[in-house]
Amino acid sequence: MSDKPGGSVRILLRSAVLVAAAVAVPFYLEGFWLQAGLFAMSAAVGAIGINLLTGATGQLSMGHAFFLAAGAYSYVYFASDPGPGLAGLGLPTPVAAVLAVLTAGVAGGVFSPIAGRLKGAYLGIATLALIFLGQHLLFNAGPVTGGYNGRPVPPMELFGFAFADSPALVVAQVPFGALERLWFLGLAALVCAALFARGVLTGRPGRAMNTIRDHEIAAGVMGVPVARYRAGVFVLSSMYGGLAGVLLALVFQRTVPEYFGILLSLDYLAMIVIGGLGSVAGAVIGAVFISLLPQLLTRYSDALPLVAEPGSGGVSPAEAARILYGAAVVVIVLFLPGGLLGLAGRLRPSPNRRIASASTAEKASLRPSPETRN
Amino acid sequence: MSDTYQPDGMAGSPPRLEVRDVTVRFAGLTALDAIGFTVEPGSVHAVIGPNGAGKSTCFNVLSGVYRATAGSVRFGEAELTALAPHRIAALGVARTFQNIALSPRLSVRDNLMLGRHRLTRAGFVAAGLRLPSARREARLHGERVNEIAAFVGLAGRLATPVGLLPYGVQKRVELARALCMEPRLLLLDEPVAGMNGGERREMAELVVAVRESLGISILLVEHDMGMVMRLADTVTVLDFGRRIAGGPPAEVQDDPEVIRAYLGAASGSGEAAP
Repeated sequence: MSDKPGGSVRILLRSAVLVAAAVAVPFYLEGFWLQAGLFAMSAAVGAIGINLLTGATGQLSMGHAFFLAAGAYSYVYFASDPGPGLAGLGLPTPVAAVLAVLTAGVAGGVFSPIAGRLKGAYLGIATLALIFLGQHLLFNAGPVTGGYNGRPVPPMELFGFAFADSPALVVAQVPFGALERLWFLGLAALVCAALFARGVLTGRPGRAMNTIRDHEIAAGVMGVPVARYRAGVFVLSSMYGGLAGVLLALVFQRTVPEYFGILLSLDYLAMIVIGGLGSVAGAVIGAVFISLLPQLLTRYSDALPLVAEPGSGGVSPAEAARILYGAAVVVIVLFLPGGLLGLAGRLRPSPNRRIASASTAEKASLRPSPETRN
Repeated sequence: MSDTYQPDGMAGSPPRLEVRDVTVRFAGLTALDAIGFTVEPGSVHAVIGPNGAGKSTCFNVLSGVYRATAGSVRFGEAELTALAPHRIAALGVARTFQNIALSPRLSVRDNLMLGRHRLTRAGFVAAGLRLPSARREARLHGERVNEIAAFVGLAGRLATPVGLLPYGVQKRVELARALCMEPRLLLLDEPVAGMNGGERREMAELVVAVRESLGISILLVEHDMGMVMRLADTVTVLDFGRRIAGGPPAEVQDDPEVIRAYLGAASGSGEAAP
C-alpha cells in the first residue's frame, strides 16, 4: 500500500489497468465465471465491512451474516409488490436498495449499545445471538421473508435500465444478460465501498479505531470516546453487510434463509484473516479467495483427486473448500500474520522502508508555541 | 477553522490542579489513602515514592482511567473524578504511559495525528467521502504535527512505523503525542524509565524545553531522583498509598520519613533505584 505522492502516477496507471480489465471481463467470460465474480464482489463489500470492525477496531463479530440477511430481505420486502401471502411495499428498486442498507444500519444501531460496551471476543459471543435470532426470523416471519422457500428477488432497475435478462441487449456482439449487466453494478458498488472505507481508515476515525484495537486505555486518554466509536463502527460495518446482502440477493435472484447462518459469518472471518486484517485490499483479496475456491473446486471436481461430484457421497467441493481454507487460516495465522496482502508486500521491495531508514532523525530545535496555532 | 483549532480557554495560564483526600480501594487493598497535593499553574510537580507507593494509581485517577473511591480532583472549575477519560482529555489534560502505549503498526505521523483527535472534527462520513473540510483539517493539523515532531527530534522518522523504532525514541513519540493534544496539564509517567544516560539527559532537556516554551503545568512521576531534583519545583512523596512528605526538592530530600521510605538512599543526589 503506497500513499506516497510520488507513487500516485503509478497508482493511477495501475487502477486504470485494473478498471479496464474489470470492464472487459463480461465480454470474454461465460456466465459461470461472471456469477462467481459477482459473488466475490458481494463478499468483498461484506468483508470490507467486517474488516473495519474486526480488523481495524479489534471487535470480533460473529453476526455479520445477520446483517447480510437484513440487507437482502429488506431489499426484497421494499421492492416486491405485495402478493398472495407475501407482504411488500413495491417501492422503486434503487430506493429499496438504499432503504435496505439503511435498515441493516438501523439493525446494527439497535445492537450498538451492546457493541459499544463489549470488547473483542466478548462482542463475538454476544453477536452469536444475532445469528440465531436471524435464522428464527427468516424461517418464521413468513409474510415478509417467505419462510423456508425464501422469496424471489425483483431485479434492479436504474433509470429505466433493468438488470435482468429481458429486454434483450447486445453490446459488441455479446448478449448482455442479467449477469453481464449486474457485473458493472457490482463493480461500481465495490469501488465506492472500497474508496469510502479507505477514506475512513486513513483519516481521523481510522486512527482512533486502530488505537482502540492496540491500546484501549490510551485511546480514551487521548480523547477518543471509545464506546461511541465502537458503536459507530458496528453500525458502519452492518451497513456494509447490508449492501453485500443486496448485491447477493440481486445475483442469486432468490433469498435462501439457511444461507445466512453461522457458516457464512465464519466465512467472512476467514476472508479477513486470510486476506489481511485491518485493510481494504486485504478484505478484497480474502473475499476473492474464499468465494472463488469452492467454485473452482466444483468446476474441476472431476479432474481433482479426493473431490467427488456434489451429491455422490464423497467429499463435496464445498466441503473440500472449507477444509482447504481452514488449513489456509492455520497456515496464515502461524506464518503470515499480515495475510496474503502482507505476503504480497513482503515479496515486493518496499520503497517506503528504504526512505525511512535512510533519513534518520536530524535534531531540530524549533520550539512550538501555542500562538502558532491557526 | 480557528475555532476548532483553538479549544476554549487555551489562552492564558493553565488552571490549578488540586487533588484533595483521594482514596482508591481495590477490593480491600487501599492503593491510595486520602492523598492530596496541588500543582500550581506552570510549575513542574513531581510525585515520587518506592515501587507500589501508588504513583501510577494516582495518574490513573487523574486521567479518568480509575474511579476514586473518595475525594476530589479539581482542574480549574472541572471536577475530574466524575469524568470519563475522553472528557478529561477534552479539558487539555494529556498523559504518557509508563509502558509504551502506541500503535506499533501505525507510522509516527499517524500516532501523533491521534493526539490531534480532540482538536479535530472529521467523522466517518467526512473522512469516508474525503470532504474538503476533512482534507483541510488534516493538512492544517499535519503541519502542526510536523512542527511538534521537529521540536521533539522526530522530524526524519514521521513515516516509520512506531514498532520499528528503538525504545528511547518510542518514549519520545509518546511525549510528542501528548504534546500534539496542546495540553494545559501534562502528566508524565516515568518518562526516562529504562533509558540510558544520554537518552535520559535528552529527555530531561526536552521536558525543560516544553515547560519554557509552552508554559504548561507538568506533573511527573519518576524514579530517577537526579532528574526529579533538577526539574521539579515541588515534590510529593508517597509511600504505601499515603503522602509522607511534600515541598521543595531540597527540603524533601532531607526529610527523615523520606529517607526511611527509600531505605538508606540518604543523599538525594544518588539514584534511588528500586
